[in-house]
Amino acid sequence: MTAFPAALLPLPVALPLVVCAALLATAHLLPGRLPDILATLAALGVAILCGTIALHAADGPLVYWFGGWEPRDGVHLGIGFSVDEASGWVAAFIGLLYALTFVFAWGFFDRTHGHFQILMLLFLAAMIGFCFTRDMFNLFVWFEVMSVAAFALTAYHLAESALAGAINFTVVNSLAGFLMLGGIGLIYAQTGTLDFEGIAAAVARGGRDPVVAGAFCLVAAALMIKGAIVPFQFWLADAHAVAPSPVSVIFSGSMVSLGLFGLAKVSAVVFGASGQVQHALPVLLIGLGGVTALLGGWMALLQRHLKRMLAFSTISHAGIMLTGIGALSAGGTGGMLVYVVGHGLVKGALFMIAGILLATQASIDEIALRGLGRGIWPAGIAMGLAGLLLCGLPLGVLDQGTRLVQGALAQQGHGIALAAGTIGAALTGAAVLRAAGRIFLGLGPDPGDEAGAPSEDEREKANRPLWLMLGPCCVLLALDIGLPADLIGHALPRAASAFLHRPAVEALAEGPAWLPWASLIAALAGAGYGLFRKTLPALVVRPVSVTQSAPTRALEVLHSGLIGDYAAWLAVGVALIAAVLAMV
Amino acid sequence: MTMLPYAVAAWLFGIGLYGIATSRNFIHLVGCLGICQSATYVLLLGLGYRWGSIAPIFYDHPPGTPAVDPVMQALVLTDIVVGATLTALLLVLTIQAYKRGGSLDPEKLRPMRAGGGSRRNQASSRADDGAGKTS
Repeated sequence: MTAFPAALLPLPVALPLVVCAALLATAHLLPGRLPDILATLAALGVAILCGTIALHAADGPLVYWFGGWEPRDGVHLGIGFSVDEASGWVAAFIGLLYALTFVFAWGFFDRTHGHFQILMLLFLAAMIGFCFTRDMFNLFVWFEVMSVAAFALTAYHLAESALAGAINFTVVNSLAGFLMLGGIGLIYAQTGTLDFEGIAAAVARGGRDPVVAGAFCLVAAALMIKGAIVPFQFWLADAHAVAPSPVSVIFSGSMVSLGLFGLAKVSAVVFGASGQVQHALPVLLIGLGGVTALLGGWMALLQRHLKRMLAFSTISHAGIMLTGIGALSAGGTGGMLVYVVGHGLVKGALFMIAGILLATQASIDEIALRGLGRGIWPAGIAMGLAGLLLCGLPLGVLDQGTRLVQGALAQQGHGIALAAGTIGAALTGAAVLRAAGRIFLGLGPDPGDEAGAPSEDEREKANRPLWLMLGPCCVLLALDIGLPADLIGHALPRAASAFLHRPAVEALAEGPAWLPWASLIAALAGAGYGLFRKTLPALVVRPVSVTQSAPTRALEVLHSGLIGDYAAWLAVGVALIAAVLAMV
Repeated sequence: MTMLPYAVAAWLFGIGLYGIATSRNFIHLVGCLGICQSATYVLLLGLGYRWGSIAPIFYDHPPGTPAVDPVMQALVLTDIVVGATLTALLLVLTIQAYKRGGSLDPEKLRPMRAGGGSRRNQASSRADDGAGKTS
């Protein structure tokens, strides 16, 4: 393979920024659809560039120092990008997701002078920068740019619930930014550098140090807030449910998992040599991940607002990704990286279907939509397939990631985390399949006057052809199923080891083959129970309703929608992380 | 080295978070968020400070004179920009929320809620309808 000019590394970040600036200056002069076309092409360009970079990074990470400020005599003054194979492919996936989202959002926002495209391109540039950077402060800057673009996009509709959701999102994620900056300040004060490698070397020299542990606590809390891990998860359901559908696709498909991607990178590369952190990580990540997977799945099952249901399902899957990181092995992290891509593809498709329902049927309420989806049955097939993939149908990228995560957990004897992940996936799958059955097949009892949706009347722009919205959704699902498993399986051991800065491993273990089937059967049973509860014998129904009613009510009260409660839980979460770090 | 800046930073963050947790007015809440952010300014400046040093401007000092850490000051500058952006954005959202909801009280502006009365019914009907599995 020919040498790749490292000077091209900043290009995938610069390209969307340049297009974004050009659009901002000229959008009011441009004819109708030109901003859509430019944005789609820019995102596609980013995907191709990142893919090329990833191909060339297979032999070793590519490094670029801005302004030529290379480290001299072990002193790191400059800011650099460093791209390993896995980061490159994740960035390429993000670019592709954006391109398809721009197609899905074609004509979605009419009289906006391209503001939607401008914000989205800014968002894209920040995500790619976040994947590529090797500097702590640079990581914080991309984190903040990502946040600000996301805040503005959430409130895009300026409806009442959208505003409240956006305010909660903004406040919680701003606090995350402050925590991260505090952590970065501490680690800089202790090590005298902001470069990942420089910090890692200094941490390795330092031994056990409470300041390093404190810095990790703050940075990890910030990234877990972005990744919507219990007890920081509250903002996600509020924000994802009210954001415009194309924005929700990006949020669930890439923003949340990128927080966890950052956590995996920081804990392996920057804090890899700190014994205290490495000892605390399995307990912390696997414990929190397991709880998150269960809570997200349970809450998903309770929702009748489709986008809110999908948001809780994202929380559940974020928990599963976290358990993968917690295994602290090439298999676990590699599985998590594959899971990020697979989950993004499937969840993106599901949010697109929610958007199609909002546009064509003018509702997002599962009960009110009962049977109304029959006219758009192709969307129903896509939703059913996505639901099956979500709960573990042994097919495609998401399944491959699940198996690898399960394999890593099983290898280290984390049986409880394994069970929590499986049940969480089954619960979210059950919720999606139940909704698909009710909306597209008209199953379940006739709701009568309960059909009136409790949420605000919502509608998204209707006059777009169905094929235009369904096309990108089907492409996402086809990618999930069609990406060759051999290719991923072949490249992953090398890529995951390079990502973790560890010596390469030969092969990665996979979990037991029956586990996805168990999860699938549990999901089908759950969906069936939700739909045919009225016709089942009381002997089955009564014990279930009795045991679930109290915890369900408690969970409902917990998700109060009040920003004050969220801030209190945030403090509890930070204290929890600090306590675990102090105890090991 | 003194512990005072760190104690002040921790106290500021704590008091700001307490303010956010108990706030009944969005404008007050934005102010509390600003206080949380001030904690990061104090922390960073405290970390970068060197006793008996000059500001990192070497125009009328020979190179090599002890100076405080300029990197921290750059971080604080970026932080201030972030803070201004966030405050502006939050205040815009607050104004829009007030225009539509007629209130600045977070309790009255909950996302995705039907509003006072029907909320309980909604929750219970959802619970009846939804939960499928106790696994």
